[in-house]
Amino acid sequence: MALIDKVLAGYTATLWMQDDATPTPLTVGQLSTWTSQVASIIGASAGGSGTTGIQVPVEAVPSFGADDAMAAYSIAGQRTGAKITTQNQPTSMTVVCPWNPADTAQLLIRDDGYNGSIVRTFVVAIYDGTNTVAYAFNAMVGGMQWDMSPSAEGKFTFTIHPIGSDFYGWSNTP
Amino acid sequence: MSTQQNPYVYAEAISYQLSDIVDPVPVYANFNRNFAVEPEFLTWQLRNVHQPVYTGQTQSNKGIDTPVFQTSIFAQSMVDAFNISNTILQSLHGYSGMFGNPDTSGFIIAKADVVWLYNTFDDTVGMNQIILDCTLYIST
Repeated sequence: MALIDKVLAGYTATLWMQDDATPTPLTVGQLSTWTSQVASIIGASAGGSGTTGIQVPVEAVPSFGADDAMAAYSIAGQRTGAKITTQNQPTSMTVVCPWNPADTAQLLIRDDGYNGSIVRTFVVAIYDGTNTVAYAFNAMVGGMQWDMSPSAEGKFTFTIHPIGSDFYGWSNTP
Repeated sequence: MSTQQNPYVYAEAISYQLSDIVDPVPVYANFNRNFAVEPEFLTWQLRNVHQPVYTGQTQSNKGIDTPVFQTSIFAQSMVDAFNISNTILQSLHGYSGMFGNPDTSGFIIAKADVVWLYNTFDDTVGMNQIILDCTLYIST
């Protein structure tokens, strides 16, 4: 497995998604399968093939991973309770795009948000020019907002909500 | 998401627009001492051409350009200097629409924002000067 073995600049992360209006999201196994699955969503500029995906032109890829989750147990009268780690859920990502009303990816996201039930595979790709590491997850779009402040470009902000704790996977260039 | 704009087009538009506003006062790019024999004229310089760059390998993932051009109004009479500057201020500050020659390289600007910086006097060439900064907000 050819993993990147250097510290990367944040600029090298890009966000991709399936480009069908009514996509079939990847299965749990496919989310961590590079060849013909995740690689197809990532474009050539980030080391993929891009046959079924499109780039989302975000200003910056927000933090991704899992939300903090733990359960605290305590018994009345006891001075300290126990913290027990539970399964974390993939975190929601609030994304800001420079609003371009003709951008295909932004229009797809707008349609997803309007539809409310479309599940789509999103991929964060981190690329060093040779190898790619990918974090793929299935999610719905919500919380769309357009900010047309006159002092800068219009912003399109939306939140990608992962649909379940199993529906994400890591993969990388073989 | 947009490609890098060409500052040459900005320059053409600035020159055209200023000439259009202050006609028949001559408009030049940058100062030349030979101009100082004229009773009034103005010069401009373009600076701060910059579109914010965003994440990713796609080079066209950028924001809008907000370049600034500085206009120096020169006049032997202080009254003329103020009046010409005021004409530019009235015309450009808050202006939204076609900027430059609409028949050639003119383009639509979202907004022009003028800051009247200061007035001064150059004893060597015997001219009053007023300096204006104008920021353009250019959709791309």
